[in-house]
Amino acid sequence: MPQPLSSKDASLFRQVVRHYENKQHKKGIKTAEQILKKNPNHGDTLAMKALIMSNMGQQEEAFVLAKEALKNDMKSHICWHVYGLLYRAEKNYEEAIKAYRFALRIEPESQPIQRDLALLQMQMRDYQGYIQSRKTMLQARPGFRQNWTALAIAHHLSGDLEEAEKVLTTYEETLKIPPPTSDMEHSEAVLYKNMIMAESGKVDKALEHLEQVGYRIADVLAVMEMKADYLLRLGRKAEAEAAYTALLDRNPDNSLYYDALIRAKGISSDDHTALKAVYDTWVEKNPRGDAARRIPLEFLEGDDFKQAADAYLQRMLKKGVPSLFANLKSLYTNPVKRDTVQELVEGYVSTAPQSNGSSEGTDNTEFLSSSYYFLAQHYNYRLSRNLTKAMENVDKAIELSPKAVEYQLTKARVWKHYGNMEKAAEEMEKARQLDEKDRYINSKAAKYQLRNNDNDKGLDNMSKFTRNEAVGGALGDLHDMQCTWYLTEDGEAYLRQKKLGLALKRFHAVYNIFDTWQEDQFDFHSFSLRKGMIRAYVDMVRWEDRLRDHPFYTRVAVSAIKAYLILHDDPDLAHGPLPNGSGEDDSERKKALKKAKKEQQRLEKLEAEKREARKAASTKGVDGEVKKEDEDPLGTKLAQTQDPLKDATKFLTPLLELSPKSIEAQCLGFEVYLRRGKHALALKCLSAAHAIDASNPTLHVQLLRFRKALDTLPEPLAPQVAEVVNAEFETLLPKAQNLDEWNNTFVSTHKDSVPHQQAGLTSRQLLNPDSKPQCEQDLASTLDSTDITIETALAGLELLNEWGSSQAAQTAYAQKASSKWPEATVFRLE
Amino acid sequence: MVDILPLSSYPSYIDLLPSIQTCNITNLPENYFLKYYLYHALTWPQLSFVAVVRPKNGYTKHTAPDGSGAGSVAEQYPKVVGYVLAKMEEEPTDGVAHGHITSLSVMRTHRRLGIAERLMRMSQRAMAESHRAKYVSLHVRMSNTAALRLYRDTLGFEVETVESKYYADGEDAYAMRMDLSNMWVDWAEIERKDRERAASDEKDGDEGDEVGELGKKEEEKEKMVRVKVGRGLGVGDLVEKNEAQTAQ
Repeated sequence: MPQPLSSKDASLFRQVVRHYENKQHKKGIKTAEQILKKNPNHGDTLAMKALIMSNMGQQEEAFVLAKEALKNDMKSHICWHVYGLLYRAEKNYEEAIKAYRFALRIEPESQPIQRDLALLQMQMRDYQGYIQSRKTMLQARPGFRQNWTALAIAHHLSGDLEEAEKVLTTYEETLKIPPPTSDMEHSEAVLYKNMIMAESGKVDKALEHLEQVGYRIADVLAVMEMKADYLLRLGRKAEAEAAYTALLDRNPDNSLYYDALIRAKGISSDDHTALKAVYDTWVEKNPRGDAARRIPLEFLEGDDFKQAADAYLQRMLKKGVPSLFANLKSLYTNPVKRDTVQELVEGYVSTAPQSNGSSEGTDNTEFLSSSYYFLAQHYNYRLSRNLTKAMENVDKAIELSPKAVEYQLTKARVWKHYGNMEKAAEEMEKARQLDEKDRYINSKAAKYQLRNNDNDKGLDNMSKFTRNEAVGGALGDLHDMQCTWYLTEDGEAYLRQKKLGLALKRFHAVYNIFDTWQEDQFDFHSFSLRKGMIRAYVDMVRWEDRLRDHPFYTRVAVSAIKAYLILHDDPDLAHGPLPNGSGEDDSERKKALKKAKKEQQRLEKLEAEKREARKAASTKGVDGEVKKEDEDPLGTKLAQTQDPLKDATKFLTPLLELSPKSIEAQCLGFEVYLRRGKHALALKCLSAAHAIDASNPTLHVQLLRFRKALDTLPEPLAPQVAEVVNAEFETLLPKAQNLDEWNNTFVSTHKDSVPHQQAGLTSRQLLNPDSKPQCEQDLASTLDSTDITIETALAGLELLNEWGSSQAAQTAYAQKASSKWPEATVFRLE
Repeated sequence: MVDILPLSSYPSYIDLLPSIQTCNITNLPENYFLKYYLYHALTWPQLSFVAVVRPKNGYTKHTAPDGSGAGSVAEQYPKVVGYVLAKMEEEPTDGVAHGHITSLSVMRTHRRLGIAERLMRMSQRAMAESHRAKYVSLHVRMSNTAALRLYRDTLGFEVETVESKYYADGEDAYAMRMDLSNMWVDWAEIERKDRERAASDEKDGDEGDEVGELGKKEEEKEKMVRVKVGRGLGVGDLVEKNEAQTAQ
């Protein structure tokens, strides 16, 4: 029972609620305190005050107050409702739901509480609970279309498509006359029903429905796309052809439409003449478009290809289209096409009249410089690499057009491939200076600074386009604006420098951004019902369920796990980077560690001083928002974790769940689980990796390590676990297998691949530690391979470190690599 | 090779939003939270388009399990090289429904392929067809001659006014607009079909039911709170305000 108030105080209480709703927080608090002066134990008022404080960011105090409110008035739905709202603000959804349920038990008719409960059920994907809530809400207000649609969504997402469709139909039948054409909500609801029909496999019924209602639906393009797809799926070829033709008339730059059109026409993939004729139609209809000219290069072969490529190249080079190479490089998986393109463009530059002093005018200069630019990218590309030629060509291009940002940018890229990030960053900086108002080239320059492990310069570049008055300056703004690429690159640069605290700091920042993105959907559970764009909403909900399958997440998770593994294997790194090779001598290592700790303390102190200075200056950001000071800006606390492997698991779980086909994820999962002594889970990763690529070199070494781990268990596995693990592992690497033989077979099967050779050598020195000197020599010999890339060679150098090889062995390897790639800096040992 | 795709048509490519956000912050100084992109995609799903690089082996996934039907980009995360993020003006000061280009950009490496033009044309058409926008408006930096050329010479925009110090760095903007009413859907035709259908469905055709004109629906529209462009919270403000009202 709510505690009674005098009529004056009751009216004050209503004011509190109004102030809260209008976000007049200070007034709300003041009024609440006025009531509390006379009624210090009034539960509802305490609760409202708590709610307002929570909205002002005073979470802890708010909770204390809300508990007090409840203690005073356990039977008040307001107290329980507020309690739930506070939990919700803390993202503790389970507890929030419980509190809402209490509130609802006291006040079953309350719409706001029911609504808040429903929203959380949706957010938590408690579909059965959501269906119940929505049914109640529909019963209370059947006149609102939203309530019908919401129930249909609940059924749809829970997998009951039939019921979903039925609910929508029931509402439609109450409409005596069709709503006006301008009624978007109706238009979208009808299309939503159609989408459900198609999803339940009733494509013919969906098509029939669409043909009946499609003419009055506002989303014209969606209707066209749906209809075309249905027709194609139903094999109604002639109509499908017409439908895709209509779509292409709208948008001739969509290869999906061409693919579908060709399927509708029933043209075989080797009937090049017929295929070409289709695309030619659209070149004619839309002479300025690219797709219809470009796509035929995919299937044409021989002289036909050469002719088409020639025309395409010349046209684009004359126009000076900077994306020409990016647009063509996918052809290079076919070596004949790759060579044809090379031959053609080399032909242009050798026969073109040189522009020095000629009267040809600028057109020819542009053609020529574009051609050199193209060749530079061509020779810089992995599948056609010749860095000497790349550099020659890019220099010629720059000579002709010294102001072209793209040319200078390509020069930086060539240096990157030379393995010289220092020079690459320098050249990219020059490119940036050619157009200081362009953020694209600014971003590139910053990225290259980071690749060169120069975090400060990177941020300095970024700060030219950030809002530096934001809390935390440029870096704060990059966090605010969810700039995942920068945070990831910055973290990876720190990881390379073994500054694990800062690396983890950035990786967690990206992790938190994904959390925010997941939380972002909350408001749309109600918003979208009002807006009526139901298909888009449902698509969003489904996407949110697999949010972390995004490559941005995969990448940051992989890096974070690597950082935690390094930290687990060498806990001293929590205090900052230690010089290379300091592992050899114990006393030297202690000295280095002491120095690192001192440096860490110095940096911490510096940060603390900065923090104090900021506090003194102002507690508020420019936007007036109160932003909590970061207590651990250097990530020291993150690095000094008690349990790095547990922290790694936080990144690992979504990775394995949502990107199970990534062999890198599985291999990392093995590393984490093996170290945690979770053999069954480690094996699960091995099996998954094996299913993806049985001959993967990392997997090869891991199989061996798992065998050895099982052979040398400190204590035996639980019998049930042992049985499963042994049986499963038997299929991957049988116990009776002679391991030397097994490794030798692997090595000889993959004798042309350096990564496989590296794995074989790692395995050999694991099996037979005495062979290490020989393995080291053999590893150095892999540098003689013509196929070895700088990246692979660098991985080899890291292997020596992993093997615990002597400084001398590492130096010998690095020197040999340096003489093979004299421009590279990555083999320079400090 | 670059494909121009509707962001949330059929199927939906809403999973490209983080890449679109990255494309934006790589290219432009005006940046937004992901929620602001979501807000566009979930309020005017028809209006935004994205340019992606077609994956090497094409789009392997299809909408039907047997491989029939059109292909789909969903869950493949191709590289995003351009986008147009667009909306309808929520409280048009002139009272005329019109569209607005919130943000448009194309990666420098993919310029001069006509991507921006195609993105704009697709968005404009959707504004007219789906939302009966009378015109579309946008802002452009006065120094951005390439963009100006696209809007004015290629697409047919006209300069409306100059907005002084429109950008955070103090640069002025041209406010431009272009009429779209020539692309409107013929509602009279739809209504004729409605009547035809009604007549054939029922013996007593309900001719009294005249045209639910635009204005009628208007008053039912909820009052919206203006969303702070860019840095603003977007939907957050919007939703709470509305819920407070319905909670009464």
